[in-house]
Amino acid sequence: MTSIPLRAIAYTLIKELMLTFLLLLGVSFIIFAILYAAPGDQFNILLEGQLPTEAARAGIRDAMGVAQSWYGQYFSWLLGVLSGNFGTSVRTGLPVAGELINVSLNTLYLTLGSMVVTLLFAIPVALYSCVRGHVVAVGWSLTMLGYIISALPVFWLGYIAIYISIHVFGIFPLVSMGNPSQSNAWLSTLVPILVLGLGSGTLSEVIRSLREELSRVMAEDYVRTARAKGASVWRHAFKEGMLIPVTEIIAAKIPFILGGAVIVEQIFNWPGMGRMAWQAAQDRDFSVIMGITLVAATFVRLGSLLQRIICTAVNPHQANE
Amino acid sequence: MKKYTQTSGEIGDFSQLPIWQKYAWVDLLYVSYGLLIVALVLVSYMFGMLHWLPYDPQQINMDMLMAPPFSQGYWLGTDFMGRDIQSRLIMGIQAYFLPGLLAVSISLLAGVMLGILSGYLGGKIETVITYITNLIDSFPRLVLILLVVAAFKPDIYYIMMVMGITGIPAVATAIANKIRFLAQKNFIEAAIALGLRTRAIILKHILWYNCRALLIIQATLGMGEAILLETSLSYLGFGVQEPVASWGNMVQSGANYFLQGNFWPSTAPALAILFTILGFNLLGDGLNNILEDRRGR
Repeated sequence: MTSIPLRAIAYTLIKELMLTFLLLLGVSFIIFAILYAAPGDQFNILLEGQLPTEAARAGIRDAMGVAQSWYGQYFSWLLGVLSGNFGTSVRTGLPVAGELINVSLNTLYLTLGSMVVTLLFAIPVALYSCVRGHVVAVGWSLTMLGYIISALPVFWLGYIAIYISIHVFGIFPLVSMGNPSQSNAWLSTLVPILVLGLGSGTLSEVIRSLREELSRVMAEDYVRTARAKGASVWRHAFKEGMLIPVTEIIAAKIPFILGGAVIVEQIFNWPGMGRMAWQAAQDRDFSVIMGITLVAATFVRLGSLLQRIICTAVNPHQANE
Repeated sequence: MKKYTQTSGEIGDFSQLPIWQKYAWVDLLYVSYGLLIVALVLVSYMFGMLHWLPYDPQQINMDMLMAPPFSQGYWLGTDFMGRDIQSRLIMGIQAYFLPGLLAVSISLLAGVMLGILSGYLGGKIETVITYITNLIDSFPRLVLILLVVAAFKPDIYYIMMVMGITGIPAVATAIANKIRFLAQKNFIEAAIALGLRTRAIILKHILWYNCRALLIIQATLGMGEAILLETSLSYLGFGVQEPVASWGNMVQSGANYFLQGNFWPSTAPALAILFTILGFNLLGDGLNNILEDRRGR
C-alpha cells in the first residue's frame, strides 16, 4: 500500500490527456459550428446600418483578411485561441484574453469555495445518516432538508441572503471584487459562495451518493474484518467510501456549479465568467461568449482528468480495465 | 442494520403483500407528494389554457398594489402592479410545461437510441457514443444555452431543444448500463437462442419489460431540471418576457421590492418553484427506490 503505482498513473495520465485533448477539440468545433450557423456574424453586428451593400461588406472582409471558407475560419480561430488570441470584444473593443483570465479566476474562486461549502455540509450529513441511519427521524429530516435546499431556486435564495446579511450582519454583499473599499470586503464575498454552495441544486445529490457509497463500503467484508480485529474502521473505509465518491461527484457536478455561477454572479454583481457570458449573450458578442464557453468546458474536462488520476492513484487495478 | 421480518405467507409471497407493507413508508410518501404536485400542475395547466382564472393575469389594479395574501378578493395577493399573483402563477405554468415536455422527450428518445446502440452493440460504436456523451457533458448547460442565445436569439422551444440535447448523456448512460447488466442474465441469451428478432428483444424484452421504470424516473427528474432551467432563464431575462408571466420573471420583478421588505411578490413564485421541483425530484427518487431496487440489498 505504501508504494505509489507510478506506471499505472503514467499510463492513465497519457490516455486521459489524449482523451481530454480530443474532447476539447470537439468542444471547440461545436462552439464554432453553432456560431457559424448563426444568422449574421461579427461584421454584420459591427457594420449594421453603416454599409448599405453586400459588396461593400465583402470588400471590408477581404481587406481585413477574413477567410471565406468555414474551415479557413475555423482553423484561423483555433490557431488564434491556441496562441492566446481570443479575438476582440465588440462591446469594449479590448482583447478578450486578458479579461478572460481575470473573470475565470474570479469564477474559480466562487466555484471552488462553493464546493467546499457543499462538502462541509454534505459530508457530516452523509456520515451521520450512514452511521446513525437507524434513527429514522434524524436521518429523514436531514435528507429532507437537503432536498428542500436543493429545490430552492438559487436566485431567490440569493435575495434572502442579501437581505439577511444587510439587516442582520450589516454587510453589503453586492460589491464588485477588486474594489475593496470596505474593510471587510472578503467577508462579503463569502455570501455568494455560501449561496452557491447551498443553493446550486447539487447538495441533495451529493449527500445521497456519498451516503450510498459509504453504506456500501461499510457493508464490505474487509470493513467487517477490520472492525472485528479492532482496527480503525475509518482508515479502511476512507479511500473507497469517502475519497473516491467525493472526487467523482465533484467532477460530475462541475458543469452544474458553473451553470449556477451564472445566476449567482448575476445576483451579486460578481465580475466572473457567468456575468460576462450573460452580458455577451445580450450583446451578441461572439468572441467573448466563444472564449467563455471554451474556458468553462476546459474547467470541466480538467476536473474530470483530476478525478481519473486520483482514482488511479487510489486503486490502480480498477483503472486499467 | 436493517431488520427483515417475514410478515406473511411462504417465502416468495412478497408480491401478495398490500402496497403499504411492501414498500418503505418514506418512499410511498415521496411518491404520493410527487403525484399530487404533478396532478396540480396538470390541472393548473388546463385551467390556464382554458383561461379559467380568478382574474386576467395582466389586469392592473392600482388600488391593490402589493397586497398580502388572503386580501379581499385576492387569495394569493397582488404584485407591484396590482396583478393577481394566483392567476399569474397559473399562467406561469404555460411558460415551462410544453417546452419542458419537449426537452424531456428529446432526451429520452435520443438517449434511448444511443444507449441501446452503445449497450447492445458495444465495441467501436460504444467508444464513439461515449465520446459524444462526454462531449455533451463538457458544456455547462447554462453557458451552452447562453452561447445559443447569443447566436440565434431563439425562443423558448429552441432553447428547450438544446436543454433536451444536454439531457441525452444521463439517459444514454443509464440505459447502456442497464443493458450491460441485463446482458449477463440468461433471458436475453435464451431469447437469441429462440430466434427472436433483435428488434423484438430490444423493444419488448429490454425496453418494455426492464427499462420502463428507469425511463419514467428519468422523465420526472428531467422535468424538474427543465422547470429549473426555464425559471432561471426567464429570471436572467432570456426566456418569457414581461408582461407575460413566468415564475422566473415574477421572482425577478418582485426582487426590486425585496429589499424594502415586500417579500411576497417574489417569494410566492419562488415557493411555487420550490414545491414543484421538490415534487418532481421526490417522485423520481421514490419511484427509483420502489421500482428499481425494491427488495433492499
